[in-house]
Amino acid sequence: MERTVTVVPEDGLHARPAAKFVETATEFDADVRVAPADGDDPVDAASMLAVTSLGVASGEDVRLIAEGDDAEAALDDLEELLATPETESAAESSSGT
Amino acid sequence: MAANESAPRAHEGTGVTPLSGVGTAVWYDPNAELELGEPPAAETVDPDAERERFEDARDRARAELERERERTAERVGEDEAAVFDAHKQFVDDPQIIDGVEAAVDDGLPAEHAVDAAFEDPIAQFEGMDGRMAERADDLRDVRDRLLRLLTDADRVDLASLSDGSILLAERLTPSDTAQLDPERVAGFATIEGGRTSHAAIFARSLGIPAVVGVGDGLESIDDGADVLIDGEEGTVIANPTPDQRERAAGGRDVEIREDPVETADGRAVEVAANVGTLAELEGAVAQGADGIGLFRTEFLFLDREAPPDEDEQFEVYREALAAFPEGRVVVRTLDVGGDKPIPYLETPDADNPFLGQRGIRRSLGPDADLFETQLRALLRAAAAESGTLSVMFPMVATVPELEAALETVADVAADLESEGIEHERPELGAMIETPSAAFIADELAERVDFLSIGTNDLTQYVMAAARENERVADLRDPCEPAVLRAIERTVAAADAGDAWVGMCGEMAGDPDLAPLLVGLGLDELSMSAVTIPEVKAAIANIETDAAEALANRATDAATRTTVYEHVNTTTDQ
Repeated sequence: MERTVTVVPEDGLHARPAAKFVETATEFDADVRVAPADGDDPVDAASMLAVTSLGVASGEDVRLIAEGDDAEAALDDLEELLATPETESAAESSSGT
Repeated sequence: MAANESAPRAHEGTGVTPLSGVGTAVWYDPNAELELGEPPAAETVDPDAERERFEDARDRARAELERERERTAERVGEDEAAVFDAHKQFVDDPQIIDGVEAAVDDGLPAEHAVDAAFEDPIAQFEGMDGRMAERADDLRDVRDRLLRLLTDADRVDLASLSDGSILLAERLTPSDTAQLDPERVAGFATIEGGRTSHAAIFARSLGIPAVVGVGDGLESIDDGADVLIDGEEGTVIANPTPDQRERAAGGRDVEIREDPVETADGRAVEVAANVGTLAELEGAVAQGADGIGLFRTEFLFLDREAPPDEDEQFEVYREALAAFPEGRVVVRTLDVGGDKPIPYLETPDADNPFLGQRGIRRSLGPDADLFETQLRALLRAAAAESGTLSVMFPMVATVPELEAALETVADVAADLESEGIEHERPELGAMIETPSAAFIADELAERVDFLSIGTNDLTQYVMAAARENERVADLRDPCEPAVLRAIERTVAAADAGDAWVGMCGEMAGDPDLAPLLVGLGLDELSMSAVTIPEVKAAIANIETDAAEALANRATDAATRTTVYEHVNTTTDQ
């Protein structure tokens, strides 16, 4: 099962968006891989290293490939994550006052 | 001419905080301990045992990262804390784990295998541009953590540097900066790094004088030298002349006043510290705090399997009170539900957790048992020490909420009484953090002993500008007239209700705003301990009449720009 999604968060697939992406990809009973839409071999979406090394920037398309029982749910959640601007989903600090 | 020749040369870098500090240079070289040497012969290595050591190191790394994450979220913010999530994912990265296990199977001990498995990924990221190169720093940080855990190398404990240390380093990683204790570190300078480096962000959040990106010249400063960090000018000077010290902006040269402070014309203003852990108490005392104006109790509850019991909490509150035998300790009851997940508490997902069930809303709902236990511990602590204990409730929005909280205190007191347990009713207060609380501050003030304005949350809610959203960061300024008017209203309500009124948001720690806050009529200001000496010095210079005139002009202003013009005019005089 495969889907192409545009990466919305400003940071692209780096830093926090990448961390969330990996976290989400590992939540499901599915093998998820990800690749830039314009080629390159897909990499393991459970690997922070592999995901960040793709160097996907905001506005670029990625291919998401999922296999397994939860493949569809995984793709749904990952698509939603990639379509959400980082600032909206960012957790906030409640340290203060 | 002669004077110039003898003055020590300044090393130029990027100043990241408008603060200056003088102290003793301590060079930090985290990797000195991590040199591995040659691996032993492959046949002497037991791959199964090495895999187990690697697993164990990963477990410990995860636990450390979790603690550092919480500490950073509390002290700096969620954005900065998120870097530790990324680090945890590198610890569990299948690509890294495969690499390590393959190297172990080839006969390398776990530490050499880790070193080898990170080599290529680090090199790969190093070759890329800016933001990707930062990933290489993260990978080095994670690698070094695993190596340290595998080799039992001592970690240079940055949290326990001697008071007044000036830390010098090639660079400071997120893990390093998370340990920095602003009460001990008088400043730091790094060879590498820019304004947006982790080190710079921490320095700003914690109020540490800092200069980054100084370059190799920094190496000419010896361990133990007397060093001036001028974060305003972006300079680092070894063995500064008295003249250079004086010219350095603001800074730590300010005298620490152990006694309460008054304005020039004799109005007393209490200057207290915000603390999250007992470890911070010492720093608060050292910086001359009159007491604690905000004791965040979340730390007692984080990073553990079950909530602290009554006795454990009692000891903590008692100890905080003992640090200020003649002062006041204001404890905020558990404020969770926003972002800090506590594993044993159920916190359902919400679209806007900060507009959801947090603070007192949880204490009166799902966390009622915790609330009661916390109050029992607090009432017992109030009776155990000579200082004044005050208890305040966060996120109050309605009168019934406050009344329910006060009623719980009365019930708890009655229980303790019937059980024959020594206790005392503490001062009770409401936090003014929501616009609704500011609007009904008169009703709230009539029912409590004090009000405490949390300007960080009050500002985000008044301005409808979320704390971590950089796109609306400019709106999140407590000098916006709307916020100032909410403060003005709160102070007037407190006065009318015979309650005292304090402030415990970041605004309270800005010495430039002290005249405005004194003019607005705040009785107490509470801040990070580090800014206490400057604020006390500022208060001592204030004439109340002038401050009140400033406050009137500021609350009448139409725009923030005008407010700042008024503030600057007063400060320059």
